[in-house]
Amino acid sequence: MIRLASLAAIVLAAMAYPTHAADWKMDAGASRLEFTVTYEKTAAPGLFKEFDTRLHLDADKPSENRLDVTIAVKSADMNSADVNKAMGGAEWFDVARYPQAEFHSTDLRKADDGKYLARGTLSLKGVPQSVEVPFTWAETADAARMNGELVVKRGTFGIGTGEWASPAVIGADVKIKFDVRLRKSG
Amino acid sequence: MMWRNTILAWGAPAKLLHWTLALLVFVQIGLGWAAVSWRLSPTKLDLFVWHKSVGILILALMFVRIAWRSANVAPALPADMRPLEQRAAHWSHVLLYILLLLLPVTGWIVNSAANVPFRIFWLIPLPSIVEPDKALADAIARVHFVLFVVLSLLLIVHIGAALRHHFVKRDDVLVRMLPGTGDVK
Repeated sequence: MIRLASLAAIVLAAMAYPTHAADWKMDAGASRLEFTVTYEKTAAPGLFKEFDTRLHLDADKPSENRLDVTIAVKSADMNSADVNKAMGGAEWFDVARYPQAEFHSTDLRKADDGKYLARGTLSLKGVPQSVEVPFTWAETADAARMNGELVVKRGTFGIGTGEWASPAVIGADVKIKFDVRLRKSG
Repeated sequence: MMWRNTILAWGAPAKLLHWTLALLVFVQIGLGWAAVSWRLSPTKLDLFVWHKSVGILILALMFVRIAWRSANVAPALPADMRPLEQRAAHWSHVLLYILLLLLPVTGWIVNSAANVPFRIFWLIPLPSIVEPDKALADAIARVHFVLFVVLSLLLIVHIGAALRHHFVKRDDVLVRMLPGTGDVK
């Protein structure tokens, strides 16, 4: 009888805590990746319409955590046909040569404040740069939402070259903001 | 210094408003032309900020001008002008005022419809007066250009008429708008 009880306890414990590892895929329709630059000292918003996020989280083995984001750079939209065309040019994103931007984490863990921090490499216009991506995490049974923002310097990626390099008309800082909805995939 | 207009002469504020707006309108035409024709570059974007800022300044000054004009008499036109000339003078001035209101307003609509963020002289954010709408922006931009053409033709008539008053008719219509005149009458 005692044996049976302990067996049941083990089974129950295994059911209650099957594993802490999960893979998450993005719900593209419900996710947004926005950026804000300054134009003539005024905030000018834009967004990337096509991007994808993959996430692996394992509470037991944080060293296995991974965040991978790919962005179709040509999907950048600033709500103006002229601006969108200029943005794809060689002085800006140069989408013909660098159609895709990527972020791959090398370290992703929960910080003391409950937020996550992904350290990794953002490759944009062929230039890899170390960045830190902080985000909040809200999880239900099989869905999750991550929100965060970071600021990058466009100049370090060679975005806006020549006469555009000066921050006088188009500011040096670009704020990136994301609201990503995910579904558990395994 | 004479402040208020009389039946014979313009006061200093009326003259100051006239010549300030005259200067701004010519600067504005040059800025608009340069901004449109410049290749895409930081300079082009700066030219547009200057053009839009001067446009809003003109709009604000036109309200001051209309208020001052309403609160004052206007000097009478020379008695020897024929009734047709009198009417032409009156309505061309009314049309000038309307154009100097409509040009900034249509420009403001274009800026709003095109959804371009803009601060007047890089300082004061200009609120939008219409929702973003690419088709509307293109249509009103054409209206803005047509109004510019009409204004240019009307300025030729206005300046031509002033010179005719001075050199052909030899009356004081042009001279009485000049600074420093009209104090001793």
